[in-house]
Amino acid sequence: MKDDLYRSMKEAIIAGDRVRAAALAQDAIGSGVDLLEVIEKGYVPGIQRVGELWEEGEYFLPELISSAEAMKAAMSVLDPELARRETKARTAGKAVIGTVEGDIHDIGKNLVASMLQAGGFEVHDLGADVALDRFIDRAEAVGADLICLSALLTTTMINQKRLIGLLRDKGLRDKYKVLVGGAPASAKWAEDIGADGYAENAVAAVKLAKALAGRG
Amino acid sequence: MSRSLLELVHDRPVLLDGAMGTELMSRGLSKGACPEIWSVERPEIVTAVHADYFAAGSDVVSTNSFGGSRIKLDGHGLAGRTYELNLSSARLARSAAPAGKYVAGSVGPTGKFLSPQGEFTEEEFEESFAEQARGLADGGADVLLLETHYDLREALAGLRGARRVTAIPIFVTMTFNAHPRGFFTLMGDSVAKCAAELERAGAAAVGANCTLNSEQMVGAVRAMRQATGLPLVAQANAGQPVLGADGDVSYSQSLDDYVKYVPDIVKQGARLVGGCCGTSPAFIRAMAPFVVRGASA
Repeated sequence: MKDDLYRSMKEAIIAGDRVRAAALAQDAIGSGVDLLEVIEKGYVPGIQRVGELWEEGEYFLPELISSAEAMKAAMSVLDPELARRETKARTAGKAVIGTVEGDIHDIGKNLVASMLQAGGFEVHDLGADVALDRFIDRAEAVGADLICLSALLTTTMINQKRLIGLLRDKGLRDKYKVLVGGAPASAKWAEDIGADGYAENAVAAVKLAKALAGRG
Repeated sequence: MSRSLLELVHDRPVLLDGAMGTELMSRGLSKGACPEIWSVERPEIVTAVHADYFAAGSDVVSTNSFGGSRIKLDGHGLAGRTYELNLSSARLARSAAPAGKYVAGSVGPTGKFLSPQGEFTEEEFEESFAEQARGLADGGADVLLLETHYDLREALAGLRGARRVTAIPIFVTMTFNAHPRGFFTLMGDSVAKCAAELERAGAAAVGANCTLNSEQMVGAVRAMRQATGLPLVAQANAGQPVLGADGDVSYSQSLDDYVKYVPDIVKQGARLVGGCCGTSPAFIRAMAPFVVRGASA
């Protein structure tokens, strides 16, 4: 019985069906099953499978977004109930994310933010064209594990490097893992500027974030 | 009356131009600034870039209006100047064009997603592109070049919007990524699907630009040739951007390596060939003999 429920949840996420994902979350609340188990055995395997389908070249960006939205819909039903029962979903970590200053491109950043959230991270999305100080201020305020910096332009990615310099100047470099992404970024770029990691796409970003946040 | 660009394309392969944004930056456009504003504030520099491409052998240059849709300009607080900036951009290219040369009005993506992935409707995209197309057509563009589109639905909205306001030919290039199973847009549309739907919607030429380097472009052109009888456009990147520690950008494909594949791009059937990110007038000059001579081969 529970297995059927979990399978349906997984399928709803894979299909990107947010209405069904939310309805199943409601069913779970009504039936009194352990909600943490629901997340771990129902929804999480769904989003993991979506990541695999993306890596296999079966899924593209629209499917990824729909599935992340379905995950969000389920969690928005479960979260208030978890809070009422005074339990908390295990968070993978806290991430502050944004597109660096001078750059208004936010498609890639939005996708990574959605996938991080679907992957269990508490995500603080600062938007696009974000002043570098704001990344650090917010990370300090929320006690973030990760700072994720997006840049689409070859002319603005230098701000990823500048942020790392700023962290150093403030004596905060070792407090946060800094992830960089965006079309012109690369693993070599990440290494050159002293970032903690680079991911080529949103699925890889979640894997990297989980490895770096160390809460796995 | 001189012959139209489509007539020229029928007669021989045609040489387009290369990158605009990086040319403007090398002439002082500050990082993060809106390139389109220079069509009004620094017109002599925009004109000089066009003139350099014509001097290098381009038959066609594209206007400084890639980010000139209302929705995109809104990100720079310039939405209210959409018509004006596009009009100026087209006029500058027109003024730089020698007799018998052509102007393509560049129309890039909005940078936003359509519903359900984003907040915008197709109707809103159409409006945004229609306003841009009107400025470009009024400014004297011979054709429109909808380029670097990663969403087929957005490109189709651009086609419809432009068609509402002008009768000039519309070319569309999509940006494909190389997958193990073939070439696909970011949104997952194949070369065959894009070519078929764009042709049905009335595109006068279709093609691929950006992301792919010139070697990969050979394969993309081959795939497109199998999908449509329309004239094909090919504008490859000079590989991937590489940032030096000082913030200077270079591209991974050298000029010689880039040009090496140009004869194959023509041989596979591309009729409008130019460059994209990382290319310059020097690239166009080096490509010219292989594109224009390709006709008689």
